[in-house]
Amino acid sequence: MKKDMIVSLVLLAGVISLYLSLGFMDDPRAANFPRVIIIIMGILSALLLLQSIFLKQPKSSEGAGFPFGRFFICFFMIIVYFIFMETLGFYLSAFLFFIAVTFILGSADLTARKAVLRVAVGFVFTGILFLLFKVLLAVQTPKGLLL
Amino acid sequence: MAEFLHYFPQALTFTNLLTLILGVIGGLVLGATPGLSPTMAVALLVPFTFHMDPATGLILLGAVYTATVAGGAISAILINIPGAPANIATLLDGHPMAQQGKSQTALYVCFISSLVGGLIGMVIMILFTPPLAKIALKFGPSEMFWIAIFGISVMAGLSSGSILKGLLGGMFGLLISTIGYSPLLGAPRFVYHDVLTGGVAIVPALIGLFAIPQVFALVESLGNKLERPDFKPEKGILFKTIAENLKMVKSLSIGSIVGSIIGIIPGAGGQVAGLIAYDQAKKFSKKPESFGTGNPEGVAAAESANNAMVGPSLIPLLTLSIPGSPTAAVLLGGLLIHGLFPGPDLFISHAEVTYTFIASLVLAQIAMCVFGIILSRYSYMVMSVPNLFMIAAVTVLAVYGTYSVQNSFDDVIVMFSLGTLMYIGRKFGFSPAPVVLGIILGPIAEDNYLKGKLIADTDVGVFSYFFTGSMNIIIILLCVASIGYSVYGEIRAYRKAKEAAV
Repeated sequence: MKKDMIVSLVLLAGVISLYLSLGFMDDPRAANFPRVIIIIMGILSALLLLQSIFLKQPKSSEGAGFPFGRFFICFFMIIVYFIFMETLGFYLSAFLFFIAVTFILGSADLTARKAVLRVAVGFVFTGILFLLFKVLLAVQTPKGLLL
Repeated sequence: MAEFLHYFPQALTFTNLLTLILGVIGGLVLGATPGLSPTMAVALLVPFTFHMDPATGLILLGAVYTATVAGGAISAILINIPGAPANIATLLDGHPMAQQGKSQTALYVCFISSLVGGLIGMVIMILFTPPLAKIALKFGPSEMFWIAIFGISVMAGLSSGSILKGLLGGMFGLLISTIGYSPLLGAPRFVYHDVLTGGVAIVPALIGLFAIPQVFALVESLGNKLERPDFKPEKGILFKTIAENLKMVKSLSIGSIVGSIIGIIPGAGGQVAGLIAYDQAKKFSKKPESFGTGNPEGVAAAESANNAMVGPSLIPLLTLSIPGSPTAAVLLGGLLIHGLFPGPDLFISHAEVTYTFIASLVLAQIAMCVFGIILSRYSYMVMSVPNLFMIAAVTVLAVYGTYSVQNSFDDVIVMFSLGTLMYIGRKFGFSPAPVVLGIILGPIAEDNYLKGKLIADTDVGVFSYFFTGSMNIIIILLCVASIGYSVYGEIRAYRKAKEAAV
């Protein structure tokens, strides 16, 4: 199925459910402006659907060879980073995240020299953040076990 | 002009000057880094300015905005990848020059031409912005409502390959802006989770929509080998290049004029300015066949045009809240978080901040040229920064920037959710710029729609209030023309593609 057809059908389903949800609002007058937007979105989605049906789209090779594995690893690492940010503190978790990303996503060409370099860059990067924002600007960040 | 000269010394204080220089150097490096867009760079910086004095914060954003446009030329010249869309025309002659061993000459021409174009653009901005702001003083709720819609329609047409997707993005942004409590009635809307109680703030949206898709795009491109930078140091060429560059009067004039005119047109952007200026410089050249083979006049025309656009692109932004480019849309977010609302008030109530900001943009052009020339010798090093470091650094900065504004972890969740959704959206041809503009202009559109409706109900009726009156009709026609032009462009592109396929 064409990409635009998929996206227009998903949008139409979303628009219909959002429109129905307007009926449950505490004050119906608060729904006036969102209603206008949702109706316009519905019309635009329908036009996109018609366009995808009647206009021939150029074939796209995008999607082929997408690195799903790498993408999900990165996504998962960011989630873990969020979970531990409030426990470990911003600076420590940022340092560990930096190391994890560079070691796990760059495991294919990891050598002892590169490992030392990645740890050093992570340390310097987090150190600069700490000096600039904690020491110089005194910006509040999540405090954890250490920093 | 008198106000500009009056507030000019404010931009020269130690803090402001230091901020400006750091912003310019940072902007040049970020602009030169392949894989990092200037828009994302400015978006990431917005929250950090929150902790600064408004004038200093805006100076930082303005300096980065100015320098990233010129910095994008470095990667265009050295590795044939434009750092920003505005630098597409630069690579046509810039990269061939680098291949001929004249990379440093090309970089010098780029920065000197950027300075010439940038200064001319700034003069246009200083002359035209205050009078236009006075016109905006006459706008009531209906005109302001249509101005918001016009801003979205312009951005929708430009930043996405499809006007339908651009408009859908803009409407999605408007819808996001309604999350939270209704401004007039106080009733909750679309609050499906506690995280959404306060609505979606500008900073998490800006960072999420621009930075997170970039992080995932960098993850995708891991393992792709970039071209090695063509860089050979040349000795004793600075003054010779300056003299030769300033003799390129025709190319510099064409570039500066085209860039300034295109800049004023909301949404047209540096990419269009650079390409049109390059094309015109080629047509008016005595040796048009030399364009594309490493002619410095081509670099001069393209770079003077895309930097001449910087100042004038802020005219519709500062007067009517209509950004001239996606980066200017992010800059609008920066203005709003400091409580500065575009329009005549900016030049009356906040004259000191506004004129200091404008003065700093002039200084940023000069600093960009000076530091660009100094750094050009080392610029090839920037190309060697591994994507792995970028992925980690951008993510950490995105999280930090989002959290630090309101000390809210909920904002981080909103930022990441929006960013992931935008990454998927980009795969389906959607662009973040209309969504961001929808979020920024949403409250302006709703507020004026509701105010206008209240007036209309007690007066002439909704239709007459919103659809009659010369200014309303002019803005509505501009909306129709903006969308119509995009539709026409798409039909033409579709026919061309069809003919090419036959």
